[in-house]
Amino acid sequence: MTARILIIEDEALVAMELRFVLEDLGHEVVGVAATSKSARDMARETDVDLALVDIHLSDGPTGIGLGRELGQDMGVTVLFMTANPGMVREGVAGTIGVLSKPTDERAVQTAIDYALRRRQGEPVQYAPPGLQLFG
Amino acid sequence: MTVPDRDSPGWDESERLAILRDYGVLDTEREAAFDDVVALIARICETPIAVVNLIDADRQWFKAETGLGVRETPLATSFCAHALLQEDGMVVPDAAQDPRFIDNPLVTGEAGLRFYAGRLLKTPEGLPLGTLCVLDTKPRPEGLTDLQVMALETMARQVMSHMELRRVLRLRKEMEAQFRVLADAMPQMVWSTRPDGFHDYYNARWYEFTGVPAGSTDGEGWNDMFHPDDQARAWERWSRSLETGEPYEIEYRLKHHSGVYRWTLGRAVAVLNDEGEITRWFGTCTDIDELKRLEQGRELISQELSHRIKNIFAVITALVALSARQYPEAKAFAASLRTRIAALARAHEFVRPHTETSKPTVGPTTLHAFLSDLFGAYADDAGAARVVISGDDAVFDDQAATSVALLFHELATNAAKYGALSNDRGRVELTTRGEEDRFVLTWTETGGPVLDGAPTKTGFGSSLALLSVEGQLGGRFVSEWRPEGLKIVVDLPSTALSRRRAAEKAI
Repeated sequence: MTARILIIEDEALVAMELRFVLEDLGHEVVGVAATSKSARDMARETDVDLALVDIHLSDGPTGIGLGRELGQDMGVTVLFMTANPGMVREGVAGTIGVLSKPTDERAVQTAIDYALRRRQGEPVQYAPPGLQLFG
Repeated sequence: MTVPDRDSPGWDESERLAILRDYGVLDTEREAAFDDVVALIARICETPIAVVNLIDADRQWFKAETGLGVRETPLATSFCAHALLQEDGMVVPDAAQDPRFIDNPLVTGEAGLRFYAGRLLKTPEGLPLGTLCVLDTKPRPEGLTDLQVMALETMARQVMSHMELRRVLRLRKEMEAQFRVLADAMPQMVWSTRPDGFHDYYNARWYEFTGVPAGSTDGEGWNDMFHPDDQARAWERWSRSLETGEPYEIEYRLKHHSGVYRWTLGRAVAVLNDEGEITRWFGTCTDIDELKRLEQGRELISQELSHRIKNIFAVITALVALSARQYPEAKAFAASLRTRIAALARAHEFVRPHTETSKPTVGPTTLHAFLSDLFGAYADDAGAARVVISGDDAVFDDQAATSVALLFHELATNAAKYGALSNDRGRVELTTRGEEDRFVLTWTETGGPVLDGAPTKTGFGSSLALLSVEGQLGGRFVSEWRPEGLKIVVDLPSTALSRRRAAEKAI
């Protein structure tokens, strides 16, 4: 299952590596945004299935609000990826869960796979390792 | 000059005078309460003259008098000065016949006094301040009637209790004045309430800080001065103190006269009477806004720093992965390096200073919590753990974090490659046990491929595990290559996991 994925990450190296991993897995990376504003613009202009959202962006800890907006208002499946998962301890409405950085290819792959299955309404038995689910 | 009946009084005169001054009655205006007494006692005793007389150093001064027309006379001619030396009082039926007064100008002169009856005004300590006395120009050989004596005694006691009340009131006023000066001199806001919590006093600093008109925050008006978000909490806390009498302490935002809210520490304690009932509350408000700001700033920096450190791990692993893409032959090397760095990052997450929001989401920052998190990646397809941890939990600090992370990362990686985690059936039991001054961890693999003794070549992973235990943590590392699976016993000094804490305890 391949998807159109938006990477929202202000650390260029991390974003680039993530892009390679996702492309290796056959996904299409439709953009990399370092601020919540550019992320919002990209999500409006292009079809996005899934967004990987860091919490601390170039314009501050704006990832939480951005993730909620993408998930609730724009129909994007949202996975947070952050070095500080405690920031979203209480969960964020309209989003799936959080991956703790640094992570590995396998965790990214299984988490995305899980999220896309849920997006398509397929039954999924359990959460992949490394992914903390909300709700 | 008259001669006292006794050579020396039973008190120290300077002490008596000091106490007389304490009553604050000398040279005050006439007062109805005392005037009424002399009017009444003159009527009862049927004398033209009645006096509330206080004996000062060199004069007698009359708080109330009727029939004399003066407020003071010299001590030399005083009848009362003589009475003072008697136990309760003195009666002179005819002064013209009494050797003590026969030459007294008040007797021989125009006044022509003959009869005197006086009752002492005694303080609770037993010191005589003066008398309540009646005088007549006619001698009275029969003295006073029983009723008149009783009236004189009673009214003398009344005068004294009235004076006593004055003294206490005066003392209280003085203390209040001192309190107000003290309270106004304090850098803090000071307030006081009745037992029911009704605010009836604020010092100058309160009005200076809040800028509200004097008296406008009396009663319960103070609550409006708090930030709306803090009002309910403060009210609840204050009500609890009022009910139970326990000291009140709370931090809230108080509205400054500039319009901004400033963080304030509010405290109050109850004043109890002898019966243990609350008679008053005294409280203070201390402006801690500056302190609070510094604290928040420090927390922000520590959070930011922590976040940066965590982010650096992410950048490094990304860098390793990106570099490895240039060299496909290094892929395996890069992968193992990345997982090692990831294990370190995970351990760091457990030991770095945390704030409420940055705490790991997995629960307490203990060894077991960290290990469950680390081994989460090896769960089976149903999500159940394949490394089962049991025994005594422990905490570990930043000094031990690297070793703990590497040790268990290497053990798990090794098990996943060659041992119990390399197939679908195997599992690992990890037990941790505190034994007096040792902490022993036992790693037991079962259900993996049958082992054929120890490997001939030691891998880098094993070296890292050994180095972590024996080099870094100061423990012993014993491995047993049993056919059914690898068993490793790590025997550590109990202080190895948190050396800093152990050192602090030792101090």
